[in-house]
Amino acid sequence: MVEFPIACNLEGDYGYKVLVVDETESVADVIQKAVDQLVGVLVAPFPPGTVLKLRLHGSETPLADDMTVKQANFAQMETVEIYRAG
Amino acid sequence: MAFLEMSEWYDLARETNWTPKYVSEDELFPAPMANSFGIPVEEWETFDEPYKVSYRDYVKNQREKDVGTYSVKAALSRSNFFKNTSPHWKALLALHFSAVCWAEFHSASAFARMTRFCRSPGLRNMATFGTLDEIRHGQIQIYFAYEFLRHDRVFDWCHKSSKTENWIIVSLRHALDDIAHTRDATSAGIMLNMGLEQAFTNLQFVALSADAAKFGDHTFATMLQSIQTDESRHAQIGEPVVRIMIKNGRKAEAQKLVEIAFWRMWKQFSAISGIGMDYYTPLEHRENSLKEFMHEWVIGQFGRTIQALGLDLPWYWDYFMYDIETFHHAQQVGVYVYRATEWWRPIASVSPAERDWLEEKYPGWNDTYGKCWDVIIDNIRNGRFDKTVPVPPPLLCNMCGLEVSGVAGNKWQAVDYSIDLEGRRYHFCSPVCEWIFKEEPARYKGHRSLIDRVFDGTIPEGDDAFYEYMGQSVEERGVCGYDYNWIDGYGDGSAQAAE
Repeated sequence: MVEFPIACNLEGDYGYKVLVVDETESVADVIQKAVDQLVGVLVAPFPPGTVLKLRLHGSETPLADDMTVKQANFAQMETVEIYRAG
Repeated sequence: MAFLEMSEWYDLARETNWTPKYVSEDELFPAPMANSFGIPVEEWETFDEPYKVSYRDYVKNQREKDVGTYSVKAALSRSNFFKNTSPHWKALLALHFSAVCWAEFHSASAFARMTRFCRSPGLRNMATFGTLDEIRHGQIQIYFAYEFLRHDRVFDWCHKSSKTENWIIVSLRHALDDIAHTRDATSAGIMLNMGLEQAFTNLQFVALSADAAKFGDHTFATMLQSIQTDESRHAQIGEPVVRIMIKNGRKAEAQKLVEIAFWRMWKQFSAISGIGMDYYTPLEHRENSLKEFMHEWVIGQFGRTIQALGLDLPWYWDYFMYDIETFHHAQQVGVYVYRATEWWRPIASVSPAERDWLEEKYPGWNDTYGKCWDVIIDNIRNGRFDKTVPVPPPLLCNMCGLEVSGVAGNKWQAVDYSIDLEGRRYHFCSPVCEWIFKEEPARYKGHRSLIDRVFDGTIPEGDDAFYEYMGQSVEERGVCGYDYNWIDGYGDGSAQAAE
């Protein structure tokens, strides 16, 4: 188990936050972690049925939800964005 | 006894480029400290300052200014003023004094370097006055700030802050070290005098002075004015230096120094003056918004000045316009929600009336940064004060040290610029902070932001250890300046009722 920090901007938030992730976690886990820590704090709850996706900063392509952090090859302090799909 | 007119002896008195007998010119003016940029000394000797003053007149003027300022202070006892003033103004005073006193005092060393090492005797003369000015600015502001210490421990930070590793102080210190304290005398003459003083001190001293007078804080207003008259004089050092650089084929070097210094100082003033003007100044006493001041004082006056000198507007001018509209609003959200990491008592300043003002001055504010505040307000209304503080820390820029931020809410825009270097990823809040780093990575790569220090183990684990590292005891951790009562204006029940 290897933990390290990444930088994450959840849609609606004013800036990036640093989240600690584990390399065994999935992309869906990282999304959930950001939602747990920021929705209802700085970001209003999303409407029911909203699907959130994660992409590397600068990319238009979302990463698969079941991909692990290790498979995604995140660097320490990788920059990711979590946004509403569709 | 008849005295000569100053114009009759001034030029002769400042001719101090004597020929050394016991050391060589290079030993007297070592390149790392002096840096003539390869320009012959005869050219540097053409430096001609626009404001000429004799030492006799300088002392007389300064004494008169001090007498005037201290008289106002003595006449208007401020004890009651401070006790009765609003948390808005208390936050503004705390932020100003704790960021500016020591920065001014430290500037004396940069001026002293110019006094000793610049090749222009005229510049050395002016820098001598600048050195004395900065000592005065440090002392008078600390003296005025300490008047409040009996009422509020926050003012201990007017002196203490510079010695701490608090993240805001690290940010400001890094910027000032970069432009003033780790540069040769000539570069500092351009970066400090032009990039900071000529470009921005109007904001903190003229604009803030106008707000202070309007608020009725005449002591603070008078003190700020007495400082700005000095700034106006020694800020003029940069122009003749740039003129000599351009004339001798060093425009590119001068341009780059101005661009780096202007941006580094903009980031600091954006946060300090931006929050001060658009949030901490009580609404009924606001003279103008930061954007309005920037357009008048900086974009207009400074932009015209550098073009008249023969320089170009900085390459990032368009991005700068965007940053004026956005950056400090994002920083204000962060400063409020991470308030425990600050030594003063931050205020939100987003009551319904204040939001109307922000929307008028910055169209779209409610739909962007206002959305974050909506969530904060709901939490306070519901008594969920714990949820007004995010668990994850913010990402800090590896150049300016402030939060890497973009646009919030319905026009959400993630902004980040990054570089991978020697196994480390560096993050920047803007293309300009990234550009400065890329221009000279060896100069900047060793610095670690406070967040970097958390994750590389420099700062021990645990909340108390984090605050202790930043020099903050339990009593020195910021809390909401209004104890959350600012949401009363929203009408759906106050925070106290929610409790």
